[in-house]
Amino acid sequence: MAEIDASIAARKPQEVNRQARTAWGLATPALALMFLILLVPVVVAGVLSFTNYSLGNSGFDWVGFKNFDRLFSRSTYEKMFIATFTYVVVVVPISVALGLGAALLVNSLGRIGDVYKTIYFLPVMATLLAMAIVWEFMLHPTIGVINQTFEMSCGTILEVIPFLANGCADGFPLWLGDRDYAIWVLCFIGIWQGFGFNMVLYLAGLTAVHRELYHAAEMDGAKSAWERFRLVTWPALGPTTVFVVTISCIRAFQVFDTVEAFWPQGGGPNKSTYVMMFAIFEKGVQQNLIGIGSAITMLFLVFVMFLTLIQRWLVERKVHYG
Amino acid sequence: MAGLSISSVTKRFGETEVLKGVTLDVADAEFVSLVGPSGCGKSTLLRIIAGLEDPTSGDIAIDGKAVTGTRAADRNLSMVFQSYALYPHLTVAENIAVPLRMRSLSAVQRLPLIGPFLPGAKEQRSEIATAVQSATEMLEIGPLLDRKPGQLSGGQRQRVALGRALVRDPAAFLLDEPLSNLDAKLRVQTRAEIAQLHRRLKATFIYVTHDQVEAMTMSDRIAVMMGGEILQCDAPSVIYEDPSNIRVAEFIGSPKINILPVELANTEMTLFGRVLGYITEAAQAGIYQLGLRPEALKLTQAAPVVTGTVAHMENLGSEVYAQIALANQTSRVTLRAAPAERRNLRLGAEVGLGFSLKDGLIFDADGKRQRRVEVAVTHEREVA
Repeated sequence: MAEIDASIAARKPQEVNRQARTAWGLATPALALMFLILLVPVVVAGVLSFTNYSLGNSGFDWVGFKNFDRLFSRSTYEKMFIATFTYVVVVVPISVALGLGAALLVNSLGRIGDVYKTIYFLPVMATLLAMAIVWEFMLHPTIGVINQTFEMSCGTILEVIPFLANGCADGFPLWLGDRDYAIWVLCFIGIWQGFGFNMVLYLAGLTAVHRELYHAAEMDGAKSAWERFRLVTWPALGPTTVFVVTISCIRAFQVFDTVEAFWPQGGGPNKSTYVMMFAIFEKGVQQNLIGIGSAITMLFLVFVMFLTLIQRWLVERKVHYG
Repeated sequence: MAGLSISSVTKRFGETEVLKGVTLDVADAEFVSLVGPSGCGKSTLLRIIAGLEDPTSGDIAIDGKAVTGTRAADRNLSMVFQSYALYPHLTVAENIAVPLRMRSLSAVQRLPLIGPFLPGAKEQRSEIATAVQSATEMLEIGPLLDRKPGQLSGGQRQRVALGRALVRDPAAFLLDEPLSNLDAKLRVQTRAEIAQLHRRLKATFIYVTHDQVEAMTMSDRIAVMMGGEILQCDAPSVIYEDPSNIRVAEFIGSPKINILPVELANTEMTLFGRVLGYITEAAQAGIYQLGLRPEALKLTQAAPVVTGTVAHMENLGSEVYAQIALANQTSRVTLRAAPAERRNLRLGAEVGLGFSLKDGLIFDADGKRQRRVEVAVTHEREVA
């Protein structure tokens, strides 16, 4: 018995070694690709953010933290942060709330719900760039549908509304050309475009809510729709909400195509819509300032990473799975 | 605690008639089981009583007050669901407290942060805690209070669901197949516990099950439902010994009752051409069905009524069930025998069976019990 045990013990490490070698061998191509495609670019961007490199130059100088210093001292970048955070802070909560609301309403409908689902999802399917052109026409200060509609109210009872009264007297906003309105228009389009996607995610989440829980809630005395929502629906949607918020945040940080379509030259009136993605594009691609472009990219990554970590932490603490 | 009355309740889902005029009165503190095969409408009836479903016609009254139009939350009933339906994000203690929080705390007092500091909230919260405490002590789930349902076993979840039902003082408890997700051993144990709980609370229980053993062991009365109707509602012993319908007789009792075709002509009752006895009172001639429970059949060598071969045996230790293929017939009958008789029951062995006609239940061709057909047994035929 002892001899057999000994022989097994002797053979075991060899076998384990061989299995390990095979495992590494099989994993190597995937690992190599992962490093090459996913991690190396990040590291390269990180390295470049400390240089003054431009594409086509034969060499570059190390500039230390000068790029980052510039990001936090120049007023252009201050505007960039303000625009980006305004956009995220406005678009994420509203598009999540609207998505949830639409999902609850659509879910309560029968077959007709499918029609609503399709309609709300249309802006998500349409290319934002093409849609932006339509918006640009509609928002045109003089010939756009929106201002023309407002003008129709001039001289009617509707002029009691201060916004319309001011517009009729001094002219309606320029919208895309107005530094007070531009960022809000951008937010509005972001919400319009994004909430249908959140709705679809929430609809998927709602199918997982156990029907009998609503009956139990009714028996337990939850009479109003709000009480049933608080007791059953909202807790059940916890995992979905974390995912929807994360995805919405990342998408909001990445807003670019609307800005590029509306203001191809420099990020809106008085740089009021100069969002991070556009700044990266402008510095890194248009002006070929790879160093500063990389610095913004690194900052962008840090923000997104930070958000993801917060959400991870939230999930582990609060949200109930299963 | 209160009685319940259900009068001519019907329910249609489109073209399908699920309940065809069900009438049932449940007395205060009574334990009534609704039992029947899947799809007989028993769960629908329970949900109509609860108010989760509206009847197409008919009335429900609790304690003499009509509640047909009243919503479920206002009927003051408690329900235990088949899936237990515990709130997965709440701990056991919070789950049990939900019915009390919903009823005794106002919406503002339930608010997470400021709620506890509002006037009156403190006393009510401590009352709720006391009620939860006593419910958990009754069900012996004290150590589980801080766990979430996901961390509990099936039996523990079942107890929590019971706790949530009995934490307040409802007019009646409605239980929808509460044991069907438990393993066999736990089911037997919980069965006894629910029966004890009923005796202790002296509350009205309506218990839906497809398992006749649960119905037989726990109930004061059993309502056997089939095809949307209550066929018979009586005490378990009456249902078993004196069923008024062949479908009731076939559904209750395990193994199933044996049904043999008998013929009645000229005051003679014959089985497979053999005269069994003579009827005392005039009854219509024709084909009848004779129901014999497995324990009514006896093995006999002297003058058996029917003979056959042993086709299958089930030895349960304390008793033996044998399926006997009758000679010259296609049907089989099931016989319950004592373990001592096992040596006579080898597979393929020829056996003779006898029975006393006193134990036989006579049904007409449509399955209705014929209590008036009494058979006087000829002495030489009786074999016991």
